[in-house]
Amino acid sequence: MRIRSQLLIVGLSTLALPWAGCQYARELEITLRGSQEQALQASAVTVADALAAEPQRVFRDASDRAPFDPARGDIYVFPLSRQPLLDGYRDDWSLPQEPLRMPRDDGPTTRLQAGATERYLFLFVEVEDPRFEPEPGAAHSSDDRFDRVELLVQRPDGTLGSYFFATDAPGLLEGQSFAVADDGSMQLGLEPRLQAYWLQTREGYHLEIRIPLSMVASRLWIRPLDGLKNAPKWELPAIEHLQGGRLFFASEGLDDLLASFVRDGTRATVVDSNGLKFGTAGAFESSAQAAQARALSHAWFRALLDVDDSGLPLRPASPDHLEGPEVDAALGGQVATAWLRTGRGQGPLLSVAAPIVVDGVTRGALVLEQSADQLFGLRDHALTRLFYLTSLATAIAVAFVFGFASWIGVRIGRLQAAADAAIGPDGRISLAMPEAERSDELGSLARSFEGLLARLNEHTQYLRTLGGKLAHELRTPLTIVRSSLDNLESEGLREDQRAFVQRARDGSQRLASILSALGAAARVEESIKQSERVNVDLRQLLVAAVGGYQSAFPPWRIELQAPRDACFLRGAPDLLVQMLDKLIDNAVDFCPAGGAILVELARDSGDYRLSVGNDGPPIPDALLPRLFESLFEHRSSPGDKPHFGLGLYIVRLIAEFHGGRCLAGNRADGGGALFTLILPSI
Amino acid sequence: MKKQIAIVEDEPALRENYAAALARHGYLIKTYANRGSAMQAFRLRLPDLAIIDISLEDEAEGGFELCRDLRALSAELPIVFLTARDSELDAVSGLRLGADDFLTKDVSLPHLAARVAALFRRIDALRATGKATEVLRRGALAIDVERLQTTWAGVPVVLSLTEFWIVHALARNTGHVKNRQQLMDAASVVLDDETITSHIKRLRRKFQAVDPAFDAIQTVYGMGYRWVE
Repeated sequence: MRIRSQLLIVGLSTLALPWAGCQYARELEITLRGSQEQALQASAVTVADALAAEPQRVFRDASDRAPFDPARGDIYVFPLSRQPLLDGYRDDWSLPQEPLRMPRDDGPTTRLQAGATERYLFLFVEVEDPRFEPEPGAAHSSDDRFDRVELLVQRPDGTLGSYFFATDAPGLLEGQSFAVADDGSMQLGLEPRLQAYWLQTREGYHLEIRIPLSMVASRLWIRPLDGLKNAPKWELPAIEHLQGGRLFFASEGLDDLLASFVRDGTRATVVDSNGLKFGTAGAFESSAQAAQARALSHAWFRALLDVDDSGLPLRPASPDHLEGPEVDAALGGQVATAWLRTGRGQGPLLSVAAPIVVDGVTRGALVLEQSADQLFGLRDHALTRLFYLTSLATAIAVAFVFGFASWIGVRIGRLQAAADAAIGPDGRISLAMPEAERSDELGSLARSFEGLLARLNEHTQYLRTLGGKLAHELRTPLTIVRSSLDNLESEGLREDQRAFVQRARDGSQRLASILSALGAAARVEESIKQSERVNVDLRQLLVAAVGGYQSAFPPWRIELQAPRDACFLRGAPDLLVQMLDKLIDNAVDFCPAGGAILVELARDSGDYRLSVGNDGPPIPDALLPRLFESLFEHRSSPGDKPHFGLGLYIVRLIAEFHGGRCLAGNRADGGGALFTLILPSI
Repeated sequence: MKKQIAIVEDEPALRENYAAALARHGYLIKTYANRGSAMQAFRLRLPDLAIIDISLEDEAEGGFELCRDLRALSAELPIVFLTARDSELDAVSGLRLGADDFLTKDVSLPHLAARVAALFRRIDALRATGKATEVLRRGALAIDVERLQTTWAGVPVVLSLTEFWIVHALARNTGHVKNRQQLMDAASVVLDDETITSHIKRLRRKFQAVDPAFDAIQTVYGMGYRWVE
């Protein structure tokens, strides 16, 4: 893996920044929720206390402390948003609840639902009475047998109003009032303020009744009578003996009162001790801003970062009741808070309930509900900014890291290239490394390289001169041996002794030639240093020299290819010829007799390219870089005389003296070795 | 009377070997290990010929010093440098200081003896002027083989023995190319190619000092050298 990729991965670790930001936003949200809870609790307690101070404005009958009890005939009146048509159908009431069965010990099974607009109270009565007994045309007697629905109300003045609905044919009808005198006689009268619609059904009939609210105080009883089954008697109980029948509905003016307390985005609801709604104001979901903020936040990052709300309890939507743990707690006398869900895709809802305590008794509770959307809007705004900022920071950091890595990579690459090229194809060591002037680790690495190369260079120099030094040191003892042998021979030896002396002489002669070869490099270097440069026509020199070689080495075909005109360079002709001698010697050594040796001179952009190729075997690639080294020995057959490879080293020294360089290779056709010298022209 | 030869050599084994070999040829040998003892003896009595090593004990160039001092004592005394050093610089320095020959220690004892004999012959011939000798003439060049003397257009050219034999070998067969080996054989020395090259260079310079137009020694590239008239 390249350093660039590695550092890129390191750079990606800055992605922790947006993550941390999101975590922070989440913490922020939790804190905000806490403060929202506290604020809402404070509001709830305040409002609840304010309401408790005016119980008559909260409860329709402030003195009636008994809780709502449907089993005793208490009736909840739903608030109706618009006035329904009197048609015997409940569809236009827009209420999800079904009518409740009335607790009756006699009479047909009856279900009742009550609703109220601002002016009217509506009652919807379903009676199971398959057989319809119409009202007779004549005046009713006390034992008249016909189906009717009796309605008793507590008038605002506290007296009991008694009415009934009966008809001879289903349809719209008016109510009738009745009174029973002490002697049992009946007094009947029309009550046109009471309107109703009688609808015959398969099971019985529906009666949709409309009563002006001005006629009703707080209690109402309804009693359908089956004209066939049990000949209903006309009777009118004293109001004191009537139980239940209390109407529970939004108290007049309570909504307005609540509305004065709540702010936008908050819904206040007053419930009685059964959780029955008395009044409500405001809406927790109305804020356009919140909706906007909600639309703004993207699903994907909400999904990533949202506080998990799915575990919150669901608040059932109910028009008459408000249920929930916090309501229960408030009705138990405690201020309580709950986070709830209102439904799928909706934000969580904060609900705070505070008890309304009147005269030491918890009469009901005030519930303040607030959508968390406002909070979300705030958080999402902060989060979005944070997200973009940290993403930008990450992008910048990654770009910077990538750039830095590329720069480091380039520097390392430069260093690597320099290290690779430090030891040239001709074995020369270039000591200077790039980056060495830098003060960082790469700089010190480069300097270490330089130090290493310098030591290597010293060592190479040492090895190069070692031969010469060794030859010099060994010469004196060798001379002692040889002069001793000379003396020994001169003393007069027996024939058998002479053979041994001769062997010793041969050995020392061989040793001498080896030492001479070893020292030759140093001598050549010295003589090269002292050479004088003159203008030389390389072409003329080649023509003369190749002519000489042709007569010196007749078995080989030595040919010259050179430009027609003079090729001047600045140099030492003796050295150039010596260099050529070595190259020809070398070629003759490797080229079989009869083979061709081609000397070629060509101009090459300000340089002369002098090459000597032969028909011999090609040089193995592995040997090529070392051919020009001092004392590099490559003998094709073990029987050859010691050959210390000084020839090509001398070639290199002479080429360098002329400011040129030499290359060893093989001919493009694979035929044999090709030595090329690049020599600068004048 | 026996010729007296002084050998100044710090290596005892070599010193004794040279002494033994030359004594066998009838010379009287005095050996010295360092410059001080040698100079002390020379002041008392000059030898007939001195063979000096360049590095003497702790003096790396003691031989050169000795040569200079000796030359101050006598202008004619033949001095031969015999050294393990084979660098051209040393040879040039030695010859410039007035040495008559410069031999590396590769030289065999018979060769050394021959060189010594040749030098004595030259001294003798110089002393016996007027005596008819064999002179090889090639144009302006005249080589007196007996006296080991060379003149160019009548002007003496002072050559070391090695140089003398090289010129002699080239000039004897005018126009013939002599390769380096042949020249080495003629000079009875074991030299490498580079040293032959520098000898030739030095020869040209010496003749050119007498006659700037000198161009008789020609290089035949790839083969060797020849003398042209």
